[in-house]
Amino acid sequence: MKVKENQTPYIELCAIDKCFGITKALQNINLKIYAGEVIGLVGPNGAGKSTLMKVLTGVLSPTAGTIRVNGADMKRYTAKESKEAGIACAYQDLSLCTNLSVYENFAMLNVGHGIFTEHGWRKNAKQETRQLMEQYFPENHIDVLKPVEHLTLAERQMVEICKTLMTGNLKVLILDEPTSALSTDKAKQLHRAVKELSEKGAAVIYISHKLDEIRKVSDRIVLMQNGMNTGECDPEEISADELVEMLGGAGGKREKKETSQEGGCEVKTAAAQIKDYTGKGLYNINMHVNCGEIVGISGLAGSGQTQLLNLLFDARKYQGKEKKGVLLNSSVSYVSGDRASEGVFHLWDILDNTVIGNLDQVKNGMFLSRKKSEELAQTWYDKLKFKAEGIHSPIMSLSGGNQQKALISRGIASGAELIILNDPTAGVDIGTKQEIYGLLEEAKQEGKAVILYSTEDAEMEICDRAYIMHEGEITEELKHQEITVANIVKASFKEVKHQQAAEEKKESGLHRMMTSRVLLPIAAMAVMILANVSMNPRILSYMGLRMLVSSAVPLVFAALGQMFIVTAGDVDMGNGYSIALVNVIVGIVMTGNPFFGVIGIVLFISCYALMGALIHIRNIPAIVVTLGAQFVWWGIALILAPSPGGTCPQWLLSFYKFEFPVIPMPVVICILAGTLCWWILFRAKYGMVLRGIGNNAASVERSGWSYLQAKMVNYALSGLMAVLAGMSYTAVCMGADANSSVSYCMLSIATVILGGCEMAGGLVTPAGVVCGGIAMSFITSLLTSFRIDSNYQTAVTGMILVAVLAVRLITHKKEDR
Amino acid sequence: MKKIMAKYTFLWPLLGSVILWIGISAVSGKFHVGQVFTSAKLCSFALLLALGQMIVVTSGEGAIDLSQQYILTLAAYISCDLMQYHVVLGVAAAVAAGALCGFVNGLINIYLKVPAMITTLATGYVIFTIVLVLAPGMKTLPDAGLVKFINWNAGGFSMLTILCLFAAAALALLLYRTKYGKQLHAVGQKRLAARYAGIPVNKVVILAFTLGGALCGLSGTLCGAFNGGAFQDMGATYFLPSIAAAFVGGTAASGGKSNVAGVCLGALMMYLLTTFLNAASLSAGMQRFIQGAVLVLILVGSVSGGAKKK
Repeated sequence: MKVKENQTPYIELCAIDKCFGITKALQNINLKIYAGEVIGLVGPNGAGKSTLMKVLTGVLSPTAGTIRVNGADMKRYTAKESKEAGIACAYQDLSLCTNLSVYENFAMLNVGHGIFTEHGWRKNAKQETRQLMEQYFPENHIDVLKPVEHLTLAERQMVEICKTLMTGNLKVLILDEPTSALSTDKAKQLHRAVKELSEKGAAVIYISHKLDEIRKVSDRIVLMQNGMNTGECDPEEISADELVEMLGGAGGKREKKETSQEGGCEVKTAAAQIKDYTGKGLYNINMHVNCGEIVGISGLAGSGQTQLLNLLFDARKYQGKEKKGVLLNSSVSYVSGDRASEGVFHLWDILDNTVIGNLDQVKNGMFLSRKKSEELAQTWYDKLKFKAEGIHSPIMSLSGGNQQKALISRGIASGAELIILNDPTAGVDIGTKQEIYGLLEEAKQEGKAVILYSTEDAEMEICDRAYIMHEGEITEELKHQEITVANIVKASFKEVKHQQAAEEKKESGLHRMMTSRVLLPIAAMAVMILANVSMNPRILSYMGLRMLVSSAVPLVFAALGQMFIVTAGDVDMGNGYSIALVNVIVGIVMTGNPFFGVIGIVLFISCYALMGALIHIRNIPAIVVTLGAQFVWWGIALILAPSPGGTCPQWLLSFYKFEFPVIPMPVVICILAGTLCWWILFRAKYGMVLRGIGNNAASVERSGWSYLQAKMVNYALSGLMAVLAGMSYTAVCMGADANSSVSYCMLSIATVILGGCEMAGGLVTPAGVVCGGIAMSFITSLLTSFRIDSNYQTAVTGMILVAVLAVRLITHKKEDR
Repeated sequence: MKKIMAKYTFLWPLLGSVILWIGISAVSGKFHVGQVFTSAKLCSFALLLALGQMIVVTSGEGAIDLSQQYILTLAAYISCDLMQYHVVLGVAAAVAAGALCGFVNGLINIYLKVPAMITTLATGYVIFTIVLVLAPGMKTLPDAGLVKFINWNAGGFSMLTILCLFAAAALALLLYRTKYGKQLHAVGQKRLAARYAGIPVNKVVILAFTLGGALCGLSGTLCGAFNGGAFQDMGATYFLPSIAAAFVGGTAASGGKSNVAGVCLGALMMYLLTTFLNAASLSAGMQRFIQGAVLVLILVGSVSGGAKKK
């Protein structure tokens, strides 16, 4: 849809400046966004595109300039106003909570924030999600009930884009490198979706380094450089080469130096070779790399290229020896394009980031020589023409392209004879790309072997040979002039020979049961009950069960409390003493004056919430804070009760000893506790948020929920559980003692793990925790009836902990195949 | 000012120490250098634990050693028992036992992929059980020569302080001037990046746990000799001060950043705090309360500052 001249722009950015300290990230940016147009935003890395988008989405406020929405000046423009204006962004780094199901990720965005929701919102959410996914990506075969963690990267990207599309009153959609993991046909579907959207009147800002794509999809192209607008052009009147030139790239195709090496050195030694390798998602791999050549790896993203590179890199452990057909004859270094998670050491400067690749060459006897390190780093610094203040500039102050330079100099400076590069030019501007190609050429002239995997097909043209992969197999080997984008694309879609091992994962009921997280705790509980029964058959009676489970109740609550903190991705190292404090409050304060007792309990829970807030706001590790807090709890408990004493309030006791028909009361309490926690986390709306923050807090915040609030709720719920644990503990031991319940800390952590929870990632199972708690406390009674020294009981708990985790490691490995 | 504080994190505990010293002088009514020397002597054991903790935490991925206090106790028993044959044997065996415990922690953490916190929690209880089982049959008196040696005093500087300074200096050399030190800090920042930089990540982490364990062993030996014998709960008192010292001293909880000088001063500060609370003659409950609150407040005030960024 073309823009009419006299239309008012929907959003207008006028003379926007954004400064971070003295560096100007944006200077005098003017951008008019009309309804229904597709703007292709192009610019080298560090041009300020991301910053501009952050200004547009209200994450950053501009230093100067005005933002107009529908012609009206906005005085206040934050994430909230931006959202109200209908601006949504699909982020480059995927922003999904992987522990939540696909539909929950969607629902988090558009479910009301009120406390009560209408009945059946889950059903509606599932239905809506399914429809939306089908509308934009037909035949995606994504199960919306599946947790996102079980999806492939491409599937996740589709979900991410759809999630963004779902924003109510969508007016401006920002897509930041949306096709980086998508296959060609899915990218085409996306382009169709973009077109549909613009026809409906929404504007789309499409950011990509893939120039052909930009030309195809956009109505006009906006160029950015060094934080400024540098021009606009019509995609139909410009070629990709002209665009490259406008962006300051060296332009044109690289002059191919024709095959002088071909006859030059006849005897080429293989730096590495692989013969008939199958495994790790790879099939029948045959390849070799000679010294003095650049070998390209290409094909559709996710066809096994990274696995192949890792296979070669891992072979360094048995250099010179053939193993499973993999033979590596030389030293090897690895350069990753995923700088943030596989590349830079963020606390260091350029110098340390460069020399870490090979510290032996900067050693002076036993110690590292500062002088030698500086010399080495300076050499590379000069050679690569870094844009920085010097070799001591912190790496994080550099732009992505310059960080990549540091990584490449690390790889080459290490002196390795084989250099593996995994998509080194991802998100790097054109100028730097050319420099990187030059470096690789140089390394090649020095007789080094280079393996280059790139997601950009055109980049393969600098290679001497290229292997094209598809579904874990090498489908074609291209040489010299044969390496053209057309040939690569053709080979990328070539049929593969290997039998696609019936990948239709049948989610049969039995399979789901076997891999369920609650299997282990339930089994453990069953075994423990049976073992106890075989020792003493009478415990199966009403009274026997009541007595036995009764002592398990405090642990069950303690573990559920621990679970809420684990849900937030933290751990409570102080709940042993916090339970003791409740024990003292109930046993001593409450029996004396119920009113003060209640106030004490309320204060206690708010202290927990406050602790959560502190941990979040000051960004301090929970483990240390809770360790410190344990002394606070202990101290208060000791002040209230310097010596053991007190009694259990009568009402509590009569509740605890209530003769519930058929099922003993403690069992009822356990079931209720588990159901309540399950309901909070998995049925209530806010449960999504509570679990979400333990997995991907940024995503939760972007969906409009407060991270701080959620964390405080998690901690407060944990505090509430500690209160219930303390109460039941008081009822069990009929008194108060500030020192007696310390062991619950260790036991509760053990129970949470036995119960099938993960310490990180927000994966928890309340039912498992309840069963685990009962099993754990039965172990103690079993050991007692075996007359095992109480000294050994802690050791047994410790061993169980390690054993459970080890078992889980093995079963998970199987699941991952 | 802020910049200087951010750059030299050890200034924080130094500042804290000075304030507490003034506080002690105010409460006791006497201005005395001896109090600092005494604290420096008493903090030795927690200091060594804190240095060990620092190495472990620096290896990253939330690594932490919660079994330290039990390793210390075990080492104290072993050293006291074996010293009846020879002093050197006792010391060596205790340090070796500590190193072995750390090594096992590292193995479990790396190869069974059990989070460090859980691993050391579990092994800690196992070690404690070993102590409980072995203790009755062990000799618990330290060697008289060693006792005399560590109680030797040079112008206020206790032998214990001197030994700690030696250990700290050696550790600083190891961490900041050697290949291993660089690799440890790299591993602590990002294990995956370290792997791709060609660093043997597993070895580096296991060695970090082992070194940490050895320091606990050394601490246990000295502690046993200083207290005139080993007893079952001897490690417990050093648990909080050592953890506090490690983090107050500028160790990044997310790994990759250590500070030997800061940790040493942090340990001193924690002991000056204890001295202060004793001097103010507060009840046991009040002392615990203040210790815990101070630790939390210090963490809130100083440590964070954009740590844990990913």
